[in-house]
Amino acid sequence: MNPVLGIAGYVLREAMSRKFILAFVVGITLVLSVVALSLRIEVVDGALAASRLFGNELRASIRSVDVALRPVYTAAAFIVFYGGILFGIVACSDFAPSLLSPGRIEHLLALPIQRWHLLAGTFLGVMVLAVGGTLYGTTGLVLIFGVKAGYWTAGPLIAGLMACVGFAAVYAVMLTTATLVRSAALCAAAGFVVMVSGIIAGFRQQIAPMFEDGFSRSAFEAVTLILPRLSSLAQAAGNIASSTPLEVNSLGMLLMGVLVFGFGALAVGFWRFEGKDY
Amino acid sequence: MRGLRKTYRRLFRKVGNEALRGMDLSVPEGSAFGLIGPNGAGKTTFIKSILGIVQPTEGTVRVLGGSPEDPRIRARIGYLPERLHLPGSWTATAFLATVTRLKGLKADAPGNRRLLERVGLADAAGRKIGGYSKGMRQRLGLAAALVGSPSLLVLDEPTDGIDPMGRLEVRRILLEEVQRGTTLFLNSHLLAETERVCDRVAILADGRVLREGRLEDLARGGARWMVRFAPGADAEALAEEGFARGSADGVYRVEAEDAAALNAALDRARSKGALLVELRRDGTDLESVLLGTVAPAGAAGVAA
Repeated sequence: MNPVLGIAGYVLREAMSRKFILAFVVGITLVLSVVALSLRIEVVDGALAASRLFGNELRASIRSVDVALRPVYTAAAFIVFYGGILFGIVACSDFAPSLLSPGRIEHLLALPIQRWHLLAGTFLGVMVLAVGGTLYGTTGLVLIFGVKAGYWTAGPLIAGLMACVGFAAVYAVMLTTATLVRSAALCAAAGFVVMVSGIIAGFRQQIAPMFEDGFSRSAFEAVTLILPRLSSLAQAAGNIASSTPLEVNSLGMLLMGVLVFGFGALAVGFWRFEGKDY
Repeated sequence: MRGLRKTYRRLFRKVGNEALRGMDLSVPEGSAFGLIGPNGAGKTTFIKSILGIVQPTEGTVRVLGGSPEDPRIRARIGYLPERLHLPGSWTATAFLATVTRLKGLKADAPGNRRLLERVGLADAAGRKIGGYSKGMRQRLGLAAALVGSPSLLVLDEPTDGIDPMGRLEVRRILLEEVQRGTTLFLNSHLLAETERVCDRVAILADGRVLREGRLEDLARGGARWMVRFAPGADAEALAEEGFARGSADGVYRVEAEDAAALNAALDRARSKGALLVELRRDGTDLESVLLGTVAPAGAAGVAA
């Protein structure tokens, strides 16, 4: 078996034993079940004629289903993006520190695997968890609205995967932090800082004029240039989920920037881990 | 290993902490090798160097004919760390199955079950590790080290937390492994344990190997023999023949370079009416050897 997959399996098995991750899965299932059971949608000739939630009629003008569902999918995309990253930061903060803890890391390093396998496997395991959770939630949402309204779109699924790309960049920093300090709290803090910085980086052009022209503005622009533009990615995810035109200039470049940042952070972690004594 | 040095450097500190100060050591294949020494001697750093967990500052380490960095070499090593941290929510069988996979071996559920039986955990195989006692975790760690029948077993305090009966079982397993041809590298604070299992010992102190060799050679008291005579032996007459009175009644010590000298001395004692009931080489136990080695070295260090 590939050692990276072996370590990823190790991480997933650990994750499955965590009660709060199981509770999260149960929570998503409950939310989807409640929406599925309490929402009634009547569609006439492709237009949303009436909708009821818990038996109460939702007042809205008659619109085509895809237009009517736009705000729902946009909101869902933002919840999945920011909520998912936030939950991921909290839920996955101690995977790497736990794997690198005294008594466990010595045992793992003595096994016939390369050091980079350990980090790559941990990263892969966490990303499988993130993608699995995201697809579970978004697929459920698409299925519910698809069955009830007859409107099928892959937008929310793509938006969910974009959230996973954003989380990959955040988790790369958390994993690298774990190679420097074996602390779940510091890993979570690093993830949170990247998330907030990523939101700011997405609005760098709007924020930059607030700084005085000169060194401070240049410094802000330089720092935010290398950060992943998470808020822009979230906006793009919202657009894709609701099938509206993209507000960002180039989604490809945006995704590339986030991935380059993630790989850069991971490369630092791999380099640090290779030379570290435990 | 040759000229092994390890200096742990800290950020913003010019001088590092020297854990190993130029160690030369060779462990014969198939031997049971014990590592003893006081706290801070560098034993754990030394063991981690063998496994590539710690990268030496200087020197070379060769294990089983290759580098410890080579996964093919590490596949032939079984390791039990001092404070093994096991995933509490897993069962023992799931843990061993994962170790088997990570060792690059095919899944072997019956083999793993046999290992659990061997370390006395068969009844607890399906229980979560979180509910295990310290001794049970240690046994599971030993089972994990034995996965894949390794050529080299590196065990750091393997009987820590195990009850006396369990220690007997662990000792039996280790001796079986040595008989099978496995090279055993044992680090234990329990000197009696080392004495019973190992045939070779190295004494470490202050990052150096102070003494190394066969246990019986290290523990040997030179040309001295312990003799016990039946009650009624004439102590004064025996003293004239070179028999020094020991601490217990009827026990004497005599110096004899070889068998002929020893028998001549015994013949002289018999001629004085003494009746021999016990004879053995006058050796010292490992504790005395350790104290005798480390204390003078420490004194010399202070003097220097």
